[in-house]
Amino acid sequence: MRRYVLRRLAQLVPSLFLITFMVFALMHALPGDPARALVAGGEALDETQLAVVRHELNLDKPMPVQYALWLGKALSLDLGRSIITQRKVADELSLRALVTLELGVLGWLLSAAIALPAGVLAGSFRGGRIDAVTTVFAVSAVALPGFWVGIMLILVFGVWLGWLPTQGFVAFNLDPLDNLRHMVLPAIALGTGSAALLMRQTRSALLEVLAQDYIRTARAKGLARRAVVLGHGWPNALLPVVTVMGLEIGRMFAGAVVVETLFGIPGMGRMIVQAVFQHDFPIVQGCVLVMASAVLLVNFFTDLTYAWLDPRIRYDG
Amino acid sequence: MRQKAEISRRAVLGASAGAGSLVLLAKHGRAAAEKPQYGGSLKVAYNIAPGALDPHVGRSGGDAYYWRQMFDQFVDADRSLKPAPSSSLAESWDLSDPKAMVFKLRKGVLFHDGTPFNAEAVKFNIERVLDPATKATPRAAFLSIDSVTVVDEYSVKFNLKRPWGSGLSMLADRGGAMNSPAAVKALGVDYAFKPSGTGPYKLAEMVSGSYVRLVRNDKYWRRDPDGNPLPYLDEIIIRVVQDPTVQVAGLRSGETDLVYLPYRDVGTFLEDPKYNVSVFQGGNIGYLMAFNTAKPPMDNVNLRLAVAHAVNPEAINKAAFFNRAIIAKGGMWPTGAWAYDPTVTRPSYSPAKARDYLKAGGKPNGFEMDAVTWASDTLSPSAEIVKAQLGAVGIKLNLKVFETSVATDRFYSTGEAPVFLTAWSRYPEPDWIAALNYSSTGYYNASKVKDARMDALIEDGAANVEIDKRRAIYRRVDEIVLGEGWITPLIYGVTYAAAPKKVQGLDSVFGWDAKFNLHAMWLKKS
Repeated sequence: MRRYVLRRLAQLVPSLFLITFMVFALMHALPGDPARALVAGGEALDETQLAVVRHELNLDKPMPVQYALWLGKALSLDLGRSIITQRKVADELSLRALVTLELGVLGWLLSAAIALPAGVLAGSFRGGRIDAVTTVFAVSAVALPGFWVGIMLILVFGVWLGWLPTQGFVAFNLDPLDNLRHMVLPAIALGTGSAALLMRQTRSALLEVLAQDYIRTARAKGLARRAVVLGHGWPNALLPVVTVMGLEIGRMFAGAVVVETLFGIPGMGRMIVQAVFQHDFPIVQGCVLVMASAVLLVNFFTDLTYAWLDPRIRYDG
Repeated sequence: MRQKAEISRRAVLGASAGAGSLVLLAKHGRAAAEKPQYGGSLKVAYNIAPGALDPHVGRSGGDAYYWRQMFDQFVDADRSLKPAPSSSLAESWDLSDPKAMVFKLRKGVLFHDGTPFNAEAVKFNIERVLDPATKATPRAAFLSIDSVTVVDEYSVKFNLKRPWGSGLSMLADRGGAMNSPAAVKALGVDYAFKPSGTGPYKLAEMVSGSYVRLVRNDKYWRRDPDGNPLPYLDEIIIRVVQDPTVQVAGLRSGETDLVYLPYRDVGTFLEDPKYNVSVFQGGNIGYLMAFNTAKPPMDNVNLRLAVAHAVNPEAINKAAFFNRAIIAKGGMWPTGAWAYDPTVTRPSYSPAKARDYLKAGGKPNGFEMDAVTWASDTLSPSAEIVKAQLGAVGIKLNLKVFETSVATDRFYSTGEAPVFLTAWSRYPEPDWIAALNYSSTGYYNASKVKDARMDALIEDGAANVEIDKRRAIYRRVDEIVLGEGWITPLIYGVTYAAAPKKVQGLDSVFGWDAKFNLHAMWLKKS
């Protein structure tokens, strides 16, 4: 097991290299002049200034050299500065990554809290009323775009009912309660789509397991339906569910882009989109590094969870 | 292109009365001038996140919403584009020598870091703008300055290479914002987000991408007309809220005190007695068609004019601007700018003329071409109308919609499309618009075509200080630009800002460029 863990961890390194290089190359393949992307809203730089910019950003060097320069610094933990705000990428990221992490985890927990019980109920009472209700919910939640759900939440809970703030952000360490109040609606907007998918996955995994012979045996020997579903069915249905939950973490990053923009939350998702448009590649590289590491680590832990959930799976080979 | 602007000049006097904003009174009317109350926190929502907060280093037109509250202009301008000495750091100036500008400075002004504002500081700031390494966007406009001489502690002289016709206007924007030399030197790159100006509010906190919190500068030098010290508010929080629907929702829920209104919501708020609405006529160029005169088929003047004549701005105003904007009658310096001239001959809607120009251009049955644009509440429906109306005379337009910066790049930089459907900020100083858009070396001249007539006019306009001469020069510029279809402005925007009744000073909320100037706002305690 230990060998497996070490080997998997070692595999993360080339993956990260590859990802950062590909993103770097893609950013440089974007049409348009990064020096000109610095100005917006009718502002302008003259040719002398553009030359200074190109030199400072190493744009006058070949792309692989630029990447090597970035990598050299990154390895010494210097991610450079944003070319727009001039702030250190590491400073920007330390704040933003935590915000996105909080939002992602809240959205993820929320989706699990809705999806797992609902999926189990729907699976256990297939064709029943609960199944119908959850199916309608799931189909709607998947079909409705996240930004629309977000706007509706803002209108209902912020404007009509006035229960929750609709915009802005309060840091957790300043006021945990207010922080959570600001995070509730975004977490719901983020978690709903994912909950629907997870619920359907849970339901079908459970249905598949419940059709197995050993379940019939368990029922035949007189065990209560509840004990069969939760004691025998559920643990065996968990593997595909855990896989999806792992994958959903990646989806949280993608969803965060829209939700953060809508609710004015200073997270990484919003930052990376803006940075791409502004050709702010130090920021893009920094975000990609953090996001890719997070997704790779989650996949890694998901794999480890398999072994823990299913004693038949062993990684000693 | 989003907002942009610049201003006025001394000679503006007498021109363009009636421009600017007025507060529309909602049903309860407004009490007669009340004594301002001190204290409180004003919460503003705005859609563009700040870049750098250092006015010289930031390079987006949206930054002004943040830095302007923390800085004073060397020469300020009022909303009617006249220099405003009472809010300027330069108390008075002598422009009698065409090769020099001599300024007397206000005494007793302190930067936020406690260091004094003086002639050395002015010299440092102007030289900083001129240094290519600063990469300050107004540099091109400042190149008329040869050197800056400190005459004494409170007088400074700009030695000019040539008369600087747009000088006072330029000193009312980025380049004329005065930074503390001590802070700039001490902080280096970090100064970009730890600015130190002389303005009424100081930076307290900037949470990147979320909000900027400003607090009262207790040592601020300015007083209101009754002699009370400014500013009134304890705090301003400017939140970045990208979606206009969410901005308006925040206004309704009471979380936000001040927003720009999307056109679709203007009617509702004008009717609502709980809110006041302030209006700026010609707050931007709401919609325009820019042509790349070197890119076929728009290298053919007749075909450009066919396009310009085929589009009905009335329909665009109705469908995309809810009839709350103005039909453009002049060029790129809109209503209220001193150079604005609604009598200039320019294309107006006429499908018959459009067909005539198609024939003259050798394409009687029409043609097909690409147009780049970007998506917004107003631009997206407008683009569809343009496409339909061009279709009616046989011109097939393929709309390519990109993110703003990408669309801008595709038109101005890579030159991929012959037409750009876009908007432009209010920029009432014609030299800035003309030098950027029409000059053969202009940053926003997509065609890069060298037109000797135009370059000479621009040179002449920039070097001339007499307003009447300049007005005539820019009328000639408009005749070429509009008459030969370089750019066709279709809509002049009207900017609306809404606030609940407790927010006072709303009549001062717009600067000369229709951007927020919150120096004199206050909150009425209920």
